[in-house]
Parts: sequence; C-alpha cells; structure tokens
Amino acid sequence: MDFYLGLAQVIGIHTLLGLSAWCVLHTGQVSIAQGGFFAIGAYVAGMLTSMAGWPLAPALAVGALAAGAVAVAVGFPALRVKGLMLVVATTAFAEIVRLFFFNFKWRVQTAEGLIGPDASLGFGGIRYFPSHAWSTLDVNLLIWALVGATLVVLAWLDRSRVGTLWRAVGEDELAAQSAGINLTAAKVSAFGIGGCIAGLAGGVFAHYATHIEHNNFGILLATFAIAYPIIGGLSSLAGTLLAVIFVQGVLLEGLRFIGDWRSLLFGALIVAVMLVRPSGLLQRSLGLGLGRRA
Amino acid sequence: MLELRHLSRHFGGVKAVDELELEVRQGEILGLIGPNGSGKSTTVNLITGVYKPTAGSLHFKGQEISGLAAHQRTELGIARTFQNIRLFGHLTVWQNLWAARVVRQGGWVGFRERWLSGARAAREQAEELLVFGDLAHKRDLLAGNLAFGEQRRLELIRAAASGAELLLLDEPAAGMNAEEIHDLDQRIRLLRQQGRTILLIEHHMELVMEVCDRIAVLNFGRKIAEGTPAQVQQNAQVRAAYLGTDEIDQSKPSPEAPHHA
Repeated sequence: MDFYLGLAQVIGIHTLLGLSAWCVLHTGQVSIAQGGFFAIGAYVAGMLTSMAGWPLAPALAVGALAAGAVAVAVGFPALRVKGLMLVVATTAFAEIVRLFFFNFKWRVQTAEGLIGPDASLGFGGIRYFPSHAWSTLDVNLLIWALVGATLVVLAWLDRSRVGTLWRAVGEDELAAQSAGINLTAAKVSAFGIGGCIAGLAGGVFAHYATHIEHNNFGILLATFAIAYPIIGGLSSLAGTLLAVIFVQGVLLEGLRFIGDWRSLLFGALIVAVMLVRPSGLLQRSLGLGLGRRA
Repeated sequence: MLELRHLSRHFGGVKAVDELELEVRQGEILGLIGPNGSGKSTTVNLITGVYKPTAGSLHFKGQEISGLAAHQRTELGIARTFQNIRLFGHLTVWQNLWAARVVRQGGWVGFRERWLSGARAAREQAEELLVFGDLAHKRDLLAGNLAFGEQRRLELIRAAASGAELLLLDEPAAGMNAEEIHDLDQRIRLLRQQGRTILLIEHHMELVMEVCDRIAVLNFGRKIAEGTPAQVQQNAQVRAAYLGTDEIDQSKPSPEAPHHA
C-alpha cells in the first residue's frame, strides 16, 4: 500500500508540474524553466517551515508567489525570443537556479539543530510532516486537493477570456496583435501563473522529500514538465493528468523489471506520440475530459 | 483620418517604401495599388506597426502613432486582414471574434463586461457581425475547418469586431471567384455605410475600380499617382508601371493626377 501512496504523491506533484508547463505552452512558448520555478518554491517553502517555523499553508503560498514573481521577471526578457532561442534561454535560467542552490549556504540554529540549505550537500531537515504527525495518506490528500483545485482554476481560466487570449497568442502572434491583444500581458501572465503552480508543487515536494538538493531540479525534471502536456494534448487538462499517470505509473514504475531501459522508452514514447497523434493523446475529436470547449 | 508623412522603410539598400505621402480621409474607400514589389504590403505593415519606419511619421486622428505597438494601434481603431489568411485556426468562429472584441470590453477578467451596461451592446455587436459575415450558423466550428471564402469573411469581421474605424484589407479578393468577389464588393460597401473607413490593397483591378472612391498608385515604394478611378486609369505613368512601357519619363509627375488632390 505504501508503495502506491508514494507513487500517488509523485503523480500528484508531477501533474502540478505538467499543468504549470501547460499554461506556458498555451501561449506557444516552450519553457525549460519550469524545473527552476519548482526549485524556488521548494527552497522558499522549505526554509520558511523549517528555519522560520512558519505553518505549512502560508509557507507554500509564499513559495508559490516567489516562484511566480521570478517567472514574471523571466517572462519579460523571454518575450524577446521565440522557439529554439527561448528553449536555450530558459534552459540557461534553469541551470542558473540549480547552480545557485548548489552554492547557496545559509544555516540557522533551531530547536532541532542547525538547519538550512548547505550548498552542494543539500537542504535536509524539512520535517514539518513528520513532526506534525502527518501520515502518507494525509500528505496524499493535501497533494490531490491542490491538484484538484489547480485543475478547477485552470479549467475556469481556459473557458474564460484569458484562455481565449492565451490560445489566440499561441495560434498566431501577429494575428493576435492585430486583433488588439497585448502579447506582453498574455505571455507574462502565462509565465507567472505557470510559475506559481510549479512553485506550489516544489513546496509540497520539499516537505514530503524532507531533503532536497540541486540534483532534484535538473533538466530532466523540466523535460518531464513539458512532456506531459505534449503527450496528453494541449486541448484538455485531463490529458496532462493521464500522461503523468501513464509515464510515472506505467512506464517508470510498472516496467521497473527492465531496469534503466525505461528511460529509453520515455524518449521513444514522445517520438511515437508525435508520429501517431501530433496533437497529443487526447485530441479535440475524442472529446474527453476537462477544459474541452463546445 | 490617417496621414503618412514622408514615410520610408528601407531594408538594407532596398527602399521598400520611400518618402511616401498619403492621406486616408474619414469615410472613404481608398484603393492602394501597384505592381508586385511596389511597397503595398510594407505600407500596411508600417501602418499596423509590424515594421517601424526608417524615417517619417504616421498620424491617426491627429495623434502620432509611429512609436505605438501593434495592439495599441488596434485599440485606437486600426485593424487589418492578411494577404495570407491568419485566423486562430483551433479557436471557434465565435472565439475568433471574441479575442478581437476583448480589447473593447473591459480587459482581461471581464468585470466591466459583466457588471456594466456597455457590455451587452458589445456582445450584440459581435452577434451582428456574425450575421453580417454570414457565419452565424457556423459560430461553434473551428475556424481552421471553414471553407476558404468563409475564412476570408471571418477575418474581415474579426477585424471589424475589434471596433476599428479604419480597416486595412490586404488583398481580400486573392483566390476568389467572380461571385465571391461580387459578394466582397457588397460587404466592403456595407462596412463603409456603417461608418468605417477602408484602405483596400488589391490586385484585382475590376474590384478596385468598382468600389474605390479614390486610388493611390505605388511603384518602387513611391506614390506615382493619386485620384479617382477614372483619373488613375488615364494616367500615363500608371499605364507604364503596369504595362512595362519605359518611353515615359517617370521622374515627372503626370498632369492628370495631381499628387495632393
């Protein structure tokens, strides 16, 4: 049972991460920075509970907002580049964040001893869940409540004018401008909201992992983040969730017996989806799931 | 309504638009014609803010707009269609209009639309445009799935939906058959009757001569003639530009078509 609860945690966190990339992809931008925003949320929320003794909810909120604020700051210069150049720029940003935490050392004396990020040794002792006697089930409930809330908010956004604007910009920037849409506002808002969601996911991750380090936030994490909505299809939010379940649950855990060959299958899966269903597993025509429009 | 003053746009050594002087008057249908590569599309791109001018300036309703971003110009009341149709293909017909309408409707979240009275009028206006574009029965279809003629009509009403007073139509008749062109002719006249000013860039001469009040002719990025359709048709320089005669000295302005009529 514990195995499945642990797996459900991972799937929940990765769903949030995938949804954060979904926002940005909607405006036609490919961002490798989502892992960086995730890291910022993880460190900020972790430091607030373990070092400053904050309760969990405000710590997660501040972590998400901090990641969102950085995302907005990244969004502005990122506007100037498109396509491959944006991939390169956001990859560089993600590496900057990772290397920052590789060097960042700030430890304070608390009741539980010396706690804080310790550069390359990582940041341990984020013990809010154990010290407040949260079971794995409790943590799962929290994660899935957040996933549910995020899905509801994004489904609403997608149906509202914000979704229409994001999609319009993603379809054709020149036409969108000519229709009077402010590209800056559309792209930066998508970056900001996506950043908040990634930061929130990072905050929760830090607490159930209890120990985080720069290695957790490499390019692979960002690749996963954009792979989910691409595999699942941008037209529906449920597609992202299904893609996470498939990749994390079936591909990575279910096929554990074939060892490291699984990673290769992940790459093959993306190629196969691109070939067979270029708009993702859940295409409009299938008509499944949330966020589908009439 | 719109004035181009000494407007130039150079690409390296190529003077795509050179010292162009042009005035679009309130309520008229002005045709902009010229051979391929004469600078028509560059002019549209300068007016809508896709390009920044190398020199010169643009004035809309008395305000200089040369430094404004494309979407700001749309907010002021200039909208366009594209030579190669650019719709939001994966959005429905209604959402295409909606995306353009948002500008006029209380911004992003839509409080003004929901809580103030101007909103219903805006929605009704968009509905009217759907009927005007003969697309009311297709409102929930994806724009990318429409037939060619329907896509052209949708692009036209999307431009109108932004609330534009000045519409720039970039070769709207391209690829259309005679019947569709007749239909377009009627729609352009109707749009003008609704109080809009129209700048029509077109290769289809019958349509231009038929529908325009005045015509300006470009060649090599310069205006070589301006006047009523009849005046322009008589103009020797225009004939030379189109037929390739080089007997006429192109440096002299032609007497039939005064430059600043």
